[in-house]
Amino acid sequence: MITIVSGLPRSGTSLMMQMLAAGGMTILTDGERRADEDNPRGYYEWERAKLLPREPNLIAEAEGKAVKVISQLLLALPASYRYQVVFMERPLAEVVASQAEMIRRRGTAGPPLGREQMISALQVHRNLVMNWIKAASNISLRVVPHHDLLGDPMSVSQTVQQFVGLPLDVAAMAAQIDPSLYRQRVT
Amino acid sequence: MPKPLAKKVLLVGWDAADWKVINPLMDQGLMPTLDDMVNHGVMGNLATLRPVLSPMLWNSIATGKRPDKHGIMGFMEPDPQTGGVRPTTSTSRKVKAIWNILTQRGYKAHVVGWFAGHPAEPINGICVSDLFPYATAPLDKEWPLAPGAVHPESMRKTFAGLRMHPAEVTEAAILPWIPRAAEIDQEKDKGLQSFAKILSENCSVHNAATWILQNEPWDFLAVYYNGIDHFSHGFMHFHPPRMEGIPEDKFEIYKDVVNGGYRFHDMMLETLLELAGPETTVILVSDHGFHSDHLRPRGIPAEPAGPAVQHRNFGVVCMRGDHIRQDERIYGATLLDVTPTILTLYGLPVGEDMDGRVLVQAFEEPPEITRIPSWESEPGECGMHSADVRMDPAAAQAVLQQFVALGYIQPPSEDQNKAVEVAVREQQYNLARVYLDSRRYHDAVPIFEELKTKWPDETRFAQHLAQCYLALGRRAEAKKILEWLLTYEPPKRPAKPAEGEQPAEGAEAAQGGPAQAQPAAVPPTNGQPAEAQPAAQAVENATAAAPVPPADLHAPAALTAEPAAEGTEPEKKEPRPRPWADLLMGIIQFEEGDMDSALEWLLKAEQADPRLPDLHLRIGETYLRQKRTNDAERAFMRALDIDGDSPEAHLGLAMVYLRQRRNEEAAEQALLAVGLQHFLPMGHFYLGVALARLGHRERAALAFETALSMLPGLMAAHRWLATLYTHPGGDPEKAARHRGIFLQMRKRRQEMAQA
Repeated sequence: MITIVSGLPRSGTSLMMQMLAAGGMTILTDGERRADEDNPRGYYEWERAKLLPREPNLIAEAEGKAVKVISQLLLALPASYRYQVVFMERPLAEVVASQAEMIRRRGTAGPPLGREQMISALQVHRNLVMNWIKAASNISLRVVPHHDLLGDPMSVSQTVQQFVGLPLDVAAMAAQIDPSLYRQRVT
Repeated sequence: MPKPLAKKVLLVGWDAADWKVINPLMDQGLMPTLDDMVNHGVMGNLATLRPVLSPMLWNSIATGKRPDKHGIMGFMEPDPQTGGVRPTTSTSRKVKAIWNILTQRGYKAHVVGWFAGHPAEPINGICVSDLFPYATAPLDKEWPLAPGAVHPESMRKTFAGLRMHPAEVTEAAILPWIPRAAEIDQEKDKGLQSFAKILSENCSVHNAATWILQNEPWDFLAVYYNGIDHFSHGFMHFHPPRMEGIPEDKFEIYKDVVNGGYRFHDMMLETLLELAGPETTVILVSDHGFHSDHLRPRGIPAEPAGPAVQHRNFGVVCMRGDHIRQDERIYGATLLDVTPTILTLYGLPVGEDMDGRVLVQAFEEPPEITRIPSWESEPGECGMHSADVRMDPAAAQAVLQQFVALGYIQPPSEDQNKAVEVAVREQQYNLARVYLDSRRYHDAVPIFEELKTKWPDETRFAQHLAQCYLALGRRAEAKKILEWLLTYEPPKRPAKPAEGEQPAEGAEAAQGGPAQAQPAAVPPTNGQPAEAQPAAQAVENATAAAPVPPADLHAPAALTAEPAAEGTEPEKKEPRPRPWADLLMGIIQFEEGDMDSALEWLLKAEQADPRLPDLHLRIGETYLRQKRTNDAERAFMRALDIDGDSPEAHLGLAMVYLRQRRNEEAAEQALLAVGLQHFLPMGHFYLGVALARLGHRERAALAFETALSMLPGLMAAHRWLATLYTHPGGDPEKAARHRGIFLQMRKRRQEMAQA
């Protein structure tokens, strides 16, 4: 079984990885992407995940571990493995605001879309991904709303622990929540 | 709402099925099921659309609409998930298919394997996508179904178990088709693997369809088999008579595969009909035919979808059921007519925005046809993918660009970018050709102009642009392009399409199905068993740099050219001649009234490539203008030598014989022409003239009336009818009406001429 933390970029995936690591789960990460202002506690990323569209079987390295695979790359997962996916959800307005800030800091260029258009495009993307997950018989899914996590860390941590099915340290997981890192809040 | 004329409808799709192969097999008693269906129903040619590319065509069959309306524009499309390309998906279809309309009206509708049918749509029934049968791993490994291949999801496990893997095709299954299979060196010749793949995939589709018929309530089932097309692309080179360049030993091994494929489909049809029951109305169609005789091309153009050059313009249609005529032939059917006809069978209205018509001739009594403006605006759940999962390519690219900018995914590779660029280019090209096919030249021109500017080495864009200019009367511009093309030196191009340049479905079959499916066995390239390659490959190489002959030459006259054979001279060193450019120059001169010059160009084209069917029609027309009827007769005869089923060639001969006052022969040729293509107003007109001269006034009047129903502005037909109805026993009222129309038209024409 491979545990995957997924969601749109900037929806709380790094936080969930951090929680699983704190809870005692083995994490697949290479530490290549270092902590920065956007993710002060680190990204918990596995750089080779980006190669999955061309080399899907790389995912075998994550067997028995948790790995972060953003929504787009889920679609490249081969059907020959079993996955449990923790999918982070965050209001798209916040996601778009956070992504815009990150792109600004990185000095890269996003697409020439307005905010509303970007929200709409991400909404369709999210729906496509969720439909794909639901249609895949080898994937079990747990959606975790980011707001719920911030509002009731202990309860959500328990839910995630039960979903993962491992004896994780739920209190340690919940202790990772730092509301001060929650920016781009829109409500 | 009119009374339904069918309790249930079974729509069977046989990709590329062709009467030219079927008829001899039926005559020998080797396709008894279809033979019985023909005898107890109606049959006819089903005219295809251009471009002759199956994903576009099958979606036109299912929607009654041309591709510019339904949105399926070719084999490949940009993939918003990977940044690369993918086989065209059902989420790109913009309009309702027949199963969506039936879902909306509460019918239990099922569909299996339809082209560009993935992911499966959430209809009121079972939907099995076209990715369902593909083996993605060897038999001894896990072989999961593609996500989204079956709706409802609860049926996924059941249907996964219905699939047959190529490795399960045993010797016992192979030997009846290929008795000398043991002689094949499978290390070098991948023909058997290709065969097993096609056979197993079609068995899987058949298993799914029969399971539904046996286990599910149903009102409608559509099932699509690609086997005939794939067997034909893979093995038609070995079909008798043996083609030049095909080694005799290989010919002997594979010569029965195509016929075997047809017989196998007949057996599957037998099972379907048994399970469907006698109360079911059955419609069997193909999207196009497949050259199986001397018209088989000896080379495949080195361009995306190049193998489509093997397709013939007429597919098949056969219908059987209550209220359907028996043992009759129908004429003038096109694949756009299938959905309007099915709607009428259910007593449902036809959408006025559908491009097809109801096949009224197929019914014992004229059915009551009702209409609505469009099914697209009809409310209610129809089982299409919801709008929130249909992503337009621009938005999809934006999401990818955003994720790249964030550093979460890699930028698309150069290969992927190239593949996307090519896929988008081909979609645009296909759209322009749809416009060309529907004579919307003004819409086609800007697309061809842009393509020509951006891809000057792809001379096909310039060629089509010249056709459009010609059709629009912009002769100077057409001439300028042709002059450029005639001196153009094309760069060397790779013999095989680049990534993303998905060839026609036959080659796709040989390449292991859609790009995302990994073949369990490595099949041969280009749809031909490996050792068949040398002769054909040499020709293909020779044609690699050669422009493609015109596939939709119908400007300005209604003469259509079939995809022509190309490349009969494998090792030419000098620049390739461009017979199609000579042909177009000839047409320009013809239009400008310079018959001598026209003939010069056309004869030059003939010297370079005498197999261009349209060419001889043009030569014949030119001779007719020059009043050289004997030469014209010879030219039309040449056209018939190349394609005996050419209605235009028979029409040309009818004109010749009318000029020569050989009226009986003229009537015979005109009858042959309209028999092949009912919607041929001039055919009916010439038939009328010949019959009138022979003294068959009533039949002549009927022929003129038919011509006028198709072409109301045919002034001469009104004059003939005015004369015929004036005779004793005629109809003075009608005579007066036609005379009035004729005089009015003549006056208008004179006024226009003066203006």
